[in-house]
Amino acid sequence: MIKTTSIGVLILLSVSLIVSLGVNYFSPSGIALVGQWDRSKGVVTAKSKLDTVHADIEVNNPLVVKRMIQNGGVVLIDARLKDVYDKGHLPGALSFPLADFDQDLAKLLDLVKKDTSILVYCSGFECTDSHSFATQLLALKFTRVRVYAGGFREWQDMGFRIEKNEG
Amino acid sequence: MKDNYLKLKGYILVNWIIRLVLGMTFIFASWHKIVNPGEFAKILYGYGVFPGISINFIAIFLPYIELFAGICLVSGILPRPSLLVINGLLTGFIILITFNLLRGHTFDCGCFSISKNPGNSSVWMLLIRDCLMLWAGVYLWKRFGKPNKQMPGYLTSPDI
Repeated sequence: MIKTTSIGVLILLSVSLIVSLGVNYFSPSGIALVGQWDRSKGVVTAKSKLDTVHADIEVNNPLVVKRMIQNGGVVLIDARLKDVYDKGHLPGALSFPLADFDQDLAKLLDLVKKDTSILVYCSGFECTDSHSFATQLLALKFTRVRVYAGGFREWQDMGFRIEKNEG
Repeated sequence: MKDNYLKLKGYILVNWIIRLVLGMTFIFASWHKIVNPGEFAKILYGYGVFPGISINFIAIFLPYIELFAGICLVSGILPRPSLLVINGLLTGFIILITFNLLRGHTFDCGCFSISKNPGNSSVWMLLIRDCLMLWAGVYLWKRFGKPNKQMPGYLTSPDI
C-alpha cells in the first residue's frame, strides 16, 4: 500500500507541476520563474507579465533622495492614500494617490511640465504603486520620472525629517 | 448485522463529509492564488522564511498542488495520495504559522484572499482552523482503505 500511495503522490505532484508551469507560461498574469526579492536591488516583485516595476527608473539610496530634495528642482509625489499621507510624508511631497490618478491628472498637469523632474514614492520596497504611477506618467510622455524604491518606510527608518498634516 | 450495516453507512457518510469539506476547502483556497500568482508570491515573501530564488516557483506550483489534491480527494481519484499531500501541506502551514507567531513576525497568510491589510489577530484563528483540518485529515487517513471490523469484507473508506 505504501508503494501505491507513493506512486499516487508522485503522479499528483507531477500533474500539478506540468499544469502549473503550462498555465503560468500562457496566463496573462503569469510570473517569471525567479522574481526580484532582494531589497538592495530595489522594489521587490514577482516579475509578473502585468508588472509595472522598472528597475532602471529607481533611486535606491535614501541619501541620494535626501540630496535631491535639499537641492530642489524635483517634484515629490506621494502615491499612497490621502489619509496615510496626512499622517506623515516626505518634506514637500504632494499627495496624488494612485487610485485617483485619472481624477487628479488635470491638477497634476497644472503643477508640472512633461520635462519636470518627478520622484514618486509609496510605502516601501513591497509597494508597487509608485511604479504604477510612474508608468502612467511615462505613458503620457513625461520624460524625467523616477521612483524612490525604499519609500516612506525607509525614509522614516533613516530618521529623516517628515511632515504631517495634523487635524 | 443490520446495526453494523447502519453503523458502516454512518462511518461512510462522516468520512465522505470530511473528504468533501477538506477537498472543497483546498480547491477554494487555491483559486485566488492561481488567478494572481504575483500577489501570492509577495505574500510568500512576507512570510520571511523562503529563499528569494524559490518564492516564484512555490507561488506557481503550490496552488495547483492544492487544487489537484482537493479535486482528487472530493472525486475519489487517488484519495489516499491526495489526503497524504493535504495532510503534508497542513503540517507545513501549521509549522510556518507557529514559527512566525513565535518570533512575532506580522504577515498575511494569503490563505483564502489576497488582502492588503494583514492582521495578526486572525492568525490564531488560522492556526486553530489548520489544526482542526489536520486532525480531520489524520482521522480520515486512519480510516482510508482499512478493513471494517464489524463488516468483514467491507472497507470503511475507498482504497486507492
